[in-house]
Amino acid sequence: MMWRVIDYQENGAFMNMAIDEAVQESVAAGGPPTIRFYGWNPDAVSLGYFQSLEKEVDSEKCAAKGVDIVRRRTGGGAVYHDKYGEITYSVIGRESLFPKDILASYRLICGWVVDSLGLIGIKSEFKPINDIVVNGKKISGNAQTRRGGVLLQHGTILYSLDVERMFSLLRVSDEKIKDKMIAGAKERVTSILRERNIPREDAYEAIFEGFTRGKDFEIAAISAEEAARAAALASSRYAKPEWNRMR
Amino acid sequence: MKAEEKIPGGKLVCVEVAASGGNVDSLRITGDFFLHPEDAIARLESALAGEPLTISEADAESKLASALGNAQLIGVSCQDIARLFRRAVG
Repeated sequence: MMWRVIDYQENGAFMNMAIDEAVQESVAAGGPPTIRFYGWNPDAVSLGYFQSLEKEVDSEKCAAKGVDIVRRRTGGGAVYHDKYGEITYSVIGRESLFPKDILASYRLICGWVVDSLGLIGIKSEFKPINDIVVNGKKISGNAQTRRGGVLLQHGTILYSLDVERMFSLLRVSDEKIKDKMIAGAKERVTSILRERNIPREDAYEAIFEGFTRGKDFEIAAISAEEAARAAALASSRYAKPEWNRMR
Repeated sequence: MKAEEKIPGGKLVCVEVAASGGNVDSLRITGDFFLHPEDAIARLESALAGEPLTISEADAESKLASALGNAQLIGVSCQDIARLFRRAVG
């Protein structure tokens, strides 16, 4: 089994979600299983497929701060993606490569995140349904969809965390609750930097190694066809209010 | 009419009920749960259409479950949605 690995690249939110979908289509059409690493530039908030945009995100504040909002094709919760503060991955392959049981497949792929963190001395564990925690504090959130016989799991690994900025963008109606939530989040969430004082590049190197160790792989870019399809999906779906505000 | 709950060991789910003339028009089910395939949400949201608002929790659950079919909810169950439906309509 030869995996394709797409090395870290930063894109806007719409393009990031469009590339995931374009690759999922190309895998469905017989393309190689793919591991992709990426970042978000500008900063963005992604919403779970079933979430209500207005309930979860302060869209005016996001617009004022130049933060994009995009709805994912995966369920799960709203995530603030800081361009410096996190590293995101996608794993895209035919369902037959993974356990049929959804939780078991989360456990498998999340295990690669656990392995990655272990390489930099951070002991973490998979916490069902879709989190990875360090001493009970969340360091990674993950979300999966299966379409056309192809599994797509993407997830975020926190490198550093600006809780105040996160809660200024995600909607929490009552200011008192917001204060409590900021304090609470500091206790419930952690990041690579809080656990180990290492440069972001070293963290990425460990993540790359954790995901690829024991696999045959080649580093390659997305194909011209995938890039064209992604550009089309970004403008026809992910940038559209009809999609992002559908719930 | 709506009711929301963080399901213990599961996800946050909000059920909103649209109704007219004492009958359910549709549900809107939002939250950070998972559903495979995602498109099955449309079936769930219309599963109780035309039913009286007085439909029992057990009957609502059974209609939701048959609308769900082979699709898989994660972090919430049809039983949870039925319970939230009842709470929403009072």
